[in-house]
Amino acid sequence: MSLDLALRLTEILLGLAFLQQSLEHLHAPKDEQRLFFPRIVLSVLLLLGFYTQWVCLGLVLLGLFILKRFQGPYNGGSDRMSLLILCCVSLVHFMPALRWQEYVFGYLALQLALSYFISGWVKIVNPEWRSGRALQDVFCFSAYPVSESLRGWADRPRLLLLMSWAVMLFELLFPFTLLTQTTLIIGLVIAAIFHFGNALLFGLNRFFWIWLAAYPSILWLQHRIFDAGQIWN
Amino acid sequence: MLQALKLLLPALIPSWRFFDEIAPSPRIEFTLLKTDQDIPEHWQEFRRRPPHLSIGCMLKRMVWNPRWNESLFLVSCAERLMANPTEHSAREILKRIQADLEQGGDVDTASYLQFRLVFLSRQGEQLQRDVTFTSPVHKFSEDAVL
Repeated sequence: MSLDLALRLTEILLGLAFLQQSLEHLHAPKDEQRLFFPRIVLSVLLLLGFYTQWVCLGLVLLGLFILKRFQGPYNGGSDRMSLLILCCVSLVHFMPALRWQEYVFGYLALQLALSYFISGWVKIVNPEWRSGRALQDVFCFSAYPVSESLRGWADRPRLLLLMSWAVMLFELLFPFTLLTQTTLIIGLVIAAIFHFGNALLFGLNRFFWIWLAAYPSILWLQHRIFDAGQIWN
Repeated sequence: MLQALKLLLPALIPSWRFFDEIAPSPRIEFTLLKTDQDIPEHWQEFRRRPPHLSIGCMLKRMVWNPRWNESLFLVSCAERLMANPTEHSAREILKRIQADLEQGGDVDTASYLQFRLVFLSRQGEQLQRDVTFTSPVHKFSEDAVL
């Protein structure tokens, strides 16, 4: 996958994710609507590829106002990933040379791989995750399960132990999927299913759409490093 | 703007420590009062989750989930209120409780509103509830919507 194609795909997926996020704010109080209506317009322009460089810059500036309005991210990790992708895409457009564009886009791909690996690492060093207790607690009393009936999953310790290890091993092994394009695609499909499950069970729909937007960067990086047989020579 | 740039930094150099530990989890409870001197007797959980959600509804929430995402933001506000108390977090919570109550028409006889934060955690095999914050009493339509 060429850098241009990967970048364009990222912009399209980012535009769609921003549209989804922003439309949700149109039922919010007026002061929020004032921030998110321009974001909808800019997201459509990003989708269309209209003056992308300046549209991205506008979205970054708007992102700063949104951060200030909510005194931090509105939706934690999904907002942070949104800003990371947006800043990387913007920087790529403003970099003077191809080599620097590749460094910036490569940084996004690296962060995507780290988002899985570090999440897996911090879990596996915690005995409560290794015993399945942590996931039981998530279902038992955390704010995330979308219905009371889902809290009943806390009473299935063996299933949750299995799920805990499946999640931890997948997250830790994710960087190894970079070895071939086929393994990476399989890894990304599993990752998307994981985010989809989180969206259904815990209502984390924004994570699903925004993590998908970072996938072209890692597909490009894998091709750049392993298939092209060279590392920024 | 400097403050916003400071808030942007964790996005550019993220920690990615999702669910590294299952911390005590906040619930927002509120009570309606007739006068600002009333002693609160009955606290209600704000935005209780439904007993059951159909698969169809879960799938719909993949693309349209504003209320739940707003509730997750209020969870962040509750956590921030404990870690680093600011008027902003309390105001965001209060504003949304008042908006929901007004929308539901539940404010006929009450003039005042108070909320508190209850944090749930596991101690051994038992669930523990700790009230960690109680807001001042607010008069409807004056203090709440700022």
